[in-house]
This record gives sequence, C-alpha cells and structure tokens, in this order.
Amino acid sequence: MNRFQYARPETVAEAVALLEEYGDDARLLAGGTDLVIELRNRWVEPKVVIDLKHIPELTPSITVRDDVLSISASTVMTDIAEDELVQRHFPALVEAAVVVGSVQIRARATLAGNICNGSPAADTSPPLLVYDAVVVIAGPEGTRRTPVDDFIVGPGKTSLGRGELVTAVELPIPQRPFGAAYTRLTRRRGTDLASITLCCGVDTDGHTRLAYGSVGPRAFLEIDDTGTLADPSVSIEEKVAPLDQLFHRASPSPKSLRASPDYRLAMLRVLGARALETALGRLTKEQV
Amino acid sequence: MNETLTINTTINGRSRSIEVEVNHTLLDVLRDEVDLTGTKECCVVGECGACTVIIDGRPMNSCLMLAVEIDGSEVTTVEGLEIHGELNVLQASFLDESAAQCGFCIPGQLMSATALLHDNPDPTVEQVQEGLAGNLCRCAGYEQITKAVLAAAKEAMR
Amino acid sequence: MKSVGSSPRRGGGLGRVTGHQQYLADIKLPDVLQVKLVTLPVARAKINSIDVTEAEALPGVAFVMTSADLPQPMPRFGPQFQDRPVLADGETKYHGEAVAAVAAETKEIAEEAVRLVKVHYDELHGGVYSVAEALADNPLLVQDPKLRGDSPLAHTNIIDEKHFGWGDIDSQESDLIVEDTFQFPMVTHFAIEPHGFMAAPDGDGIEIWSTIQHPYLLQKIMAKLLDMPLAMVRVHAPDPGGGFGGKQIPKLEPLIAYMALRAQRPVRLILTLDETFQTVRRSSAEVRVRLGFTENGVFTFQDIETNFLVGAYVDIADRVVSKSSYSAAGPYSVPAVKIIGRTIVSHTTPSTAFRGFGIPQISWARESVIDEAALRLGVDRLDIRLRNLARYREEFIPLEEADGDWEQTVRTAAKRIGWNDPLPPNRGRGIACGMKSGPTTGLSYSTVRLLYDGSAMVYAGTSDMGQGARTVFAQIASDELGVPLENIAVVMGDTAVVPYDQQTSASRSSVLMGTAVQRACQDIQGKVLTMATELYGINEDAVKTVGGRLLLPDREVTLTEVMQEALAPLGGEVIGNGEMRKEKDPNHPLGGTAAFFEFNCTASEVEVDMETGHVTLIKHVTVGDVGRSLNPKQVTAQDDGAAIQGLGHTLMEHYIFDDAGRVRNIGAIDYRILTSMDLPLEMHSESIENADGPGPYGIKGVSEGSLLVTAPAVGAAVREATGKVIRDLPLTPQRVWEALQEDENGS
Ligand code: FES
Ligand code: FES
Repeated sequence: MNRFQYARPETVAEAVALLEEYGDDARLLAGGTDLVIELRNRWVEPKVVIDLKHIPELTPSITVRDDVLSISASTVMTDIAEDELVQRHFPALVEAAVVVGSVQIRARATLAGNICNGSPAADTSPPLLVYDAVVVIAGPEGTRRTPVDDFIVGPGKTSLGRGELVTAVELPIPQRPFGAAYTRLTRRRGTDLASITLCCGVDTDGHTRLAYGSVGPRAFLEIDDTGTLADPSVSIEEKVAPLDQLFHRASPSPKSLRASPDYRLAMLRVLGARALETALGRLTKEQV
Repeated sequence: MNETLTINTTINGRSRSIEVEVNHTLLDVLRDEVDLTGTKECCVVGECGACTVIIDGRPMNSCLMLAVEIDGSEVTTVEGLEIHGELNVLQASFLDESAAQCGFCIPGQLMSATALLHDNPDPTVEQVQEGLAGNLCRCAGYEQITKAVLAAAKEAMR
Repeated sequence: MKSVGSSPRRGGGLGRVTGHQQYLADIKLPDVLQVKLVTLPVARAKINSIDVTEAEALPGVAFVMTSADLPQPMPRFGPQFQDRPVLADGETKYHGEAVAAVAAETKEIAEEAVRLVKVHYDELHGGVYSVAEALADNPLLVQDPKLRGDSPLAHTNIIDEKHFGWGDIDSQESDLIVEDTFQFPMVTHFAIEPHGFMAAPDGDGIEIWSTIQHPYLLQKIMAKLLDMPLAMVRVHAPDPGGGFGGKQIPKLEPLIAYMALRAQRPVRLILTLDETFQTVRRSSAEVRVRLGFTENGVFTFQDIETNFLVGAYVDIADRVVSKSSYSAAGPYSVPAVKIIGRTIVSHTTPSTAFRGFGIPQISWARESVIDEAALRLGVDRLDIRLRNLARYREEFIPLEEADGDWEQTVRTAAKRIGWNDPLPPNRGRGIACGMKSGPTTGLSYSTVRLLYDGSAMVYAGTSDMGQGARTVFAQIASDELGVPLENIAVVMGDTAVVPYDQQTSASRSSVLMGTAVQRACQDIQGKVLTMATELYGINEDAVKTVGGRLLLPDREVTLTEVMQEALAPLGGEVIGNGEMRKEKDPNHPLGGTAAFFEFNCTASEVEVDMETGHVTLIKHVTVGDVGRSLNPKQVTAQDDGAAIQGLGHTLMEHYIFDDAGRVRNIGAIDYRILTSMDLPLEMHSESIENADGPGPYGIKGVSEGSLLVTAPAVGAAVREATGKVIRDLPLTPQRVWEALQEDENGS
C-alpha cells in the first residue's frame, strides 16, 4: 500500500467536503473488502482514505417509513440477511446477500459498497433492479435520489459525481403480491464470484421483471408486460422464446477465466427459467 | 487526518492503546506489532480465512481490514480462546476429532466456529459447512472439523 | 500394547489449537532484513541489464541482489540435475522466475524498492507450453544443451525417456484392443502456509530456516553450494503448515543464504500465496494407453506412453516420471507390458513432487480406458478389475510382489458404494484401482532418551506437516518403553540436534522412521536388561522384555524402575539408537524395490445436472490397504484429506495460461479448491488391516492412496450419468455441459 492519509469524518457534510477537495485522490472506506485488495495491489494509490463508519447517519440501520425500506450505507450483508423486514419483503435480496463471499466477508461488505464498486458481477445488483431500488446520494448540492438502474453505469462506474457519496439504498415495499427469486452460476458450491447473477420477479398483473449480471458491462433490467412469462398456466417450453429475448443485451466477455461466452449464454436461459419458476411459486404462495 | 493513529482497542480481553500506521492491515499489526502470531497469513484476499479474527462478535478477515478500523472495538484472536489457561470446549473437541492436521488453517477455523456457535449453538451439518466455508483447509480435514464443531456444540449444551 | 492402534490427541496438537505453534513465519530473528523478489510480467525474457541504483538509494534498502552479485558461473542446484540457477541466468524461463531480490529493513520498504528496480529486458516470443510444442520438429529448446552434459537427448526438450516393460506386447492375441489419450492439468499444492525461508550467518557457517520437508537434503545441497562442511550448515525446519510434496526440494534457500552471507545479517523471505503458484506445481501429463483384452476382459497386454510436462527445471520431476511410469500398468496381472515415460521440459513453473507422485496422472488414463473396454466387452466394470487384479504375493511387476489382499480392498469399496444398487436418474457410479510404490531406498536414524524421571525424548528427523508423525512416534515409544504418552517429547526439525533422516516423502515415515524409533527403544530395552542382570545378579535368559516392562523370575518391573535403581545416586539416563535402512538394489530399474505399495480402491456416485453440467458427489468411498492403523483417526483424516484434494484436480483445479505463457489464475480468487461446502454428501474412508506391512506392528505407509484414482472413479461416474467420455480434467460444469452438447449437434 502507498502512504495515504486516513480521514474519519463525523458528518456527511465533512465527507462530502473531503471528496470535493480530493476528487479521484480520495477513496471511500466502508467495508473495505474490495478497497483493501486494491490498495495492497496498488491498483489504487489514493492520497486520502475516508472512513465512513464514524458518521452517525450512515451507521448500520434498516428502517421502514411510508412503505419504503431504507438501508443505510454502512449496513453489511449479514445485517441485511438477518433482518426480518428484508426477509419478509425482499427475499431475493436476502438470497443475494447470503452468497456474497463467506461469512467473514458478509460481516464486512456493505450493500452500498457492493453497488458502488460497479462490478458487473455484484450479487445484489439484480435484486435491487428487480425491486426497483433507489439510491440516496449526498453531495455538494444536497441530497438526490436516483433509480438503481440509472446509478449503475458500467464496470467500475456509477453515476456518482465529484463530491458525492451514497448514504442509503431505498426499496419500495411491494403493495401487491410479488414473487421474486435470485440465482447465480458458480464454479463451486462454496464461495465464488458468479459467472451469472440473475433475479426474476413476477406480479399478479402479468409483469415480469428480470435482471441479470456478469454477462456484460453491467447488470441489466428487462421488463416483460406481455403476461406470458408471469402466467403460471403457460408451460415452461412456451416461455423459452420470450425469455430468450430478455437476454438480448448479454455480451459475455471471451476473456473471462470463469466461463466461456457460449456456456454463459446457455446458462442464462437455464437459470432464467429456473428463477422464473421459483418466482412464480412464491407468488402463488403469497396469494394464499 | 493522519498517517499514524493511536487506537484504543481490547484484544483478548486486554485493553490496549496502539499507535498504528494507517496503511497497515489489522493482520500485519496483530502479527508484527502485537506479537499475536496465532492469526495466520495466506491469501490476503479474503478467500482462505486463515487470518480470521472475531471483532465485536463477528468473524472477519483481518487481511482485509486496516488496523485503524478496530479503534473502539473488541478483538478476539485464537490466543484469546483458552479460559484460564485451559482449552475451551471447541479447542478440546478439535484435538479429540483429529481436526488439526498441519494446523495452519486451524486458528481461522476456530474463530469462525466460535462465532458460528455463538449465533447458533445447535447447528446442523450444513450450517457448520456453510459457516466455515470461508476457511480453506488444504489438509482437507473438513469432515473432522465439522465433527469437532458439532461435538463441541453438544458438549456446550450439556 | 496400549497406545498403538488407538487415537490419542495429536502430538503438537495443543500448539495447533491455541495459536502457539511456531510456524516458520512466526519465528522472529533479531535485526532481520526482509526480502522481496523481483519478477517480470512475462514468461520468457532476455535480461539485458538490471539497474538497481534507484532502489538501493531508497532509505532502508540494504542492497539488491542480482545474478551479477552471485559467484560466476551462476551456481545451480537440484536433487537430480544441477539445473536450477539461484536467480534467473540471463533469461527467464517461466512466468514468475525471480531475476533479482531486494533486502530491506521492512517489508514495506522492500516492496517499494522492488518497484524501483529497473529490469531492461526483451520479451522472447514463442515458448514451449505444451507437450506438442516441446516435441515438435526443431523445437525451441528450453534448456541450454551445454548444461545437459553428454545426454544424447541434449538437443531436445526430453530430459530422459524411460523404457520399462515385460513380455512381448506384439505377440499377444487379443479379442479387443482399446486406445485413447487423456490429459491431466497443471495444478498446485496450495498449502495454506506459503513457503518461507530465513538464513543467518553463524560464525564460519550458516543457519537456515525453511518450511522444507527434507531438512537433510537442504543441508547437503547448501553445504555443496557454499563449500562448507555439513557440520557448519544448520537447518531449522519447523513443522510445515502443509507440504504435500511441494516443500520437499530446496527452491529459494540458496538465494536467501547468499543474501545472508552478503548482508552478514539474518534475512527473511516469506512468499505470498500467489508466489507459491510460481514456485511449485504438479506435472501435467498426456498419457496414451492401448490395452488388449480377451473377450472375458482379461488383459493380454498394456502399451502405455506417458509424456510429463515438467516445467523449466527438472527438480525431482524426472524421478516422478520414472517411478510412476514403472508401475503404469497398475495393480494388475498383465502378461505383456510396454511403457515409455518421458520427462519433458517446458517454459512453465517447475513441477515437483506432489502427493501421488505421478500416479494420478497415469491412472486417470489407464482406468478410464479399462472402463471403455468393459463397456465394449459387456463386462461389468468391477468384474473386469477383479479378474485382472494381482493376487496376494504374486510377482506382478518384475521384482515386485503384490503385498496385500487387494481383492478384499476392492470388494469392500464396491460393497460400500452399493455397486449393484439401482441408480436413480442422472446418477452414475465409477470404481477405480491404483497403487503407488512406497520408498525404494531409505535411511532413517533415531535417538531415544529414557530420562531419569521416566519420561522420554524421541529424536526423529521426519517433518510433521500434518500427517501426524509426532503422534505415531510417541505412540511407538510409549508402548516400547512403558512411558505414558504425555511424558514423551518428540524432537524434530533441527539438523544440529536430530540425527539424519533421508526424507519425509512417499508415505515412508511411519514405516522407516517408525522402525528406527522402535529399534532405538529396543536398544534401551537391551541396556536396561543388562542393568537388571547386574543389579539383581540374574541371567539374561531369565528376564523377558514385554513392552516397557521386564519380567524377572519373581516379579515384574518397569524399565524406569530398573534404570532409576541402577543409575542412583548420580542420576542420568539411558540412550538408545535405532537405524533403519532400505538398501539399494542395483538390479532394479528404480534402484530398489518398493518398501510397500499403497493400494487404493475408490468408488464414487455422482449426480449430474444435465442442464448446467454441475456434478454433485452423492457418495465417495476410498478403501486403502494399510497393513495396520497405528492411529485410526489420523489415518482417516489423511485419507479423507487426500480424497478431497483429489476431488480438487478432478473437479475444479487447473492453471489457465494466456498465449504468452503467463498463468492467468494465480491466487485464491480464480484458482478454486474445495471448501467445506463442496464435499461429497457422504464420504467413507476405510482401511483394510491385515498387519502384513513391513513397518512396526505390520503397518504400511498411508496418506497418498485416496487421491491416486479419484479422477477416474469420478470420471467414470460422470460418464455413466451422461454417456460422455471427457478426456481432460478438471470436470468443470462448463466442460461437462460442453460434452453434453455434443450429441445434440451429432458431433
Ligand atoms: S489471509 Fe485473509 S483471508 Fe486469506
Ligand atoms: S490443517 Fe492443514 S490446512 Fe487445515
């Protein structure tokens, strides 16, 4: 690691001021599970590392207000997976949170960090897309909110501007029955980076939301309003073609070590169908 | 802002005030400065778990943390497991099941197991395997380690 | 006999569960300089010059060692050929080969200085990364022919070509001949403890600390390189945190020693896990097998060609090739066998010993082809093995006899897996047999001291890297001396204190060193017996020694009681020495017969997800012929561990290279090994115990058996489930899926 300054702001405003001052020479430290690796390998050589864990507003918390569940920026995967509200309303997010690394990683890695990193393979991106999450951002101009679909840009890129940081992620609690499921493709059962991340959500009005990652520069959200996919009486064979269409943005890299493009594309279909089935099953359960 | 910082922390029940370089990992500080070498270094990318310590009740990879991050926290390393110089139930159980072969991964395994049993005193086989999946053992004593954790859970509940 | 055959707590176990065990990296030497290696981001490079000015100007840097600072010509070393240079000699021959090393006051400064060392080099394009490239016409030569002495193969990439066999394969009548070629990938040891080295000048001599498995080999190599008497080279070898063969042979110790001598201070180099990937690996291999059978599935001949790709320097790999190729035909009785084994160098990480020592590579091919034959002949895959298995005490290879009831072993495995039980859909079973020869020569000394208070110290030069040698030696001494286990200390890992042992390899230690320990104890028994005859004025034949006790005509006494009475009032102790030799046999192609065979039968049941190619291990059974279990829990732990390691190369482990010969998946993130969540749903390790081994109490060696035939057993199960033959390892989901696609396209 290079020599850097360590800053421990106590308010969001202080953090924003530091970010404005240092720009690209500053790095935010929440869980650090990615940052410390980047620092050790000298992939980044910041002048200042800003530790967000001493800002009271950002300390771990999961709260509900006006049918919106809000997850603060320092909340870690373990907190999310263990939270009853999240379990009740956002089971697919729990499924994603519990496969992020190992127990040790989940005790440290934050949800905000997971999406800020801009990894196309981030496990939580697909469920956040499916659940229509909103990212709360603090910056020099105050606070703004942006849909997660606009927040995620590309590998290592988000829509954060200079001086901005994520303070929370908000998820609107579905007001009508909604079934969702998360699944992924890995090389082994134990902890692994996924070659495909995929989340599917269906509601009773025939809407299907499907998000998938790790097969292109970012995770993509697709919405099917035809009703075919969300119809439990339509056979899975008949859903193959419409499902396939949802994957039109997939462009897996041939350079990946984890899986070949052909395999990934084929597995998108398999996992897509499986997640859809599970989501439909859950929807049915929700209704009874 | 600083390049070094004095942090206050409790390590294995003993409160300490340590001056650390802000760009040193917790693993480095534990091993090189606090002389607690029971915590091991292997992959330094959070994959092997050899460096696992418990911080405020949760297991974490000390190779992925800056030492400054434990300011105000309570840290337990493998050296803190013995109770009044006696092996605790888990340690004894690891010995009885021949779970420690070369032993290099064992401190990390013990820390993950300690945290697991703390949260879930009566785990299933799958829960143990899941709870310890972040701790690689190349001697591959996984069967023995799992048995040892289950036996310790039983013993502790008696 | 109380201790042997039971499973007491592991010797050294306490330190392992408390964190107090001192592994190499935990030892702090005062005033030590930290070393970091300088490597290049390419596989092959011509080094034009190395500019160290800027690096050496950095405060805290002691010096940068380059090849110019070493004696000229470049010192080279190795266990078989002296081909490995201390630092890359004008050219790097594989990705990660060190070209220089920095010594500095702290790790951080050393790391910083590495970035300031300016290596001017030209990348050399093209390289030998595969068997095909190595054996092409007019190949690029990996090793300089000048260094190959008068070898007739000096102008090839073949270090040696071995020819073994018996009978005449061409004159055999066969009803069926099957031929196929299989590939085994490069995999790495991945000991959780990365290799580490320290050295310090010591008067006229030197002290070296290493994670080495063979301290005495290191001592010998260093004495020769540094032209010092053995007595001036002291090697400390703390218990390694896992070895698996990867820590047998010296690698960077010479560099560290030269640096310590230059610095006149202690120096220390602890590799990162990533660096270990570029330091040790298993040989990859391409193995062609042609087998002839009668219509009943009885072997008529075997014709096997093994091409091992061993890497840039030979290390111990040529021995891997000869030893494994010699028994390539497996544990079968075959009338005619022809074997060609080649040791082939390449521009890749030098390979070394790795649990199984070449057998997993060969058995993957041989056992898979046997299955093919069984299917074509309509003979059950278990039966075809039983029909051909060498019978107990049969000389199945010239000069080698089958030293166990192997049929019993195979039948036990078949029973355990439920070989004939109906199979649910998408499931398959496989069974495979293999054996590995134990050490062909050996020399182990042990000293045991019975101390005045009745406790004992056992000195043994074995390295306890997890196999549990400390426990087993203490158990033997406990029974032989009648001293409780907790009063026995086992001393290892210091050549200045512990007598010579050839090496810790080939599952030898319980058998060879175990015998030396037993003999040292018997030496004590003899001395105490003499004391007794003098003390009590009785005749030697009136006394019997049973375990740790003497049966006198009128009563029974312990060895300790006699000793104490005899040595009073001055005190003192009784010292015993034991020696175990396994002599060379000049007539044997390997230089000696196998001390024993590690025979194993592995059976596996898998379920394949036909859509994704994922293989789930439903049940995995390994049965070994061990002679006797000195410590059943340790034996099971070693067997389970070996099986799981074997499942690694079977299902997920392999080096991935780019076109320029660089390893792309270095480190723990993209090189996957099994975690606790990847285990078979059910695992059984069993031992056949007929007390028919050459070691104490009838033991044979254990600890490698369970990974010898993991791949063919699992591969066969996958084949039965999918109908597909996959010839490359590992059986990743993608590879299985690709195989499954083949029939749909008709290809
Ligand atoms: S050393 Fe920290 S996880 Fe491997
Ligand atoms: S006991 Fe050797 S790595 Fe786990």
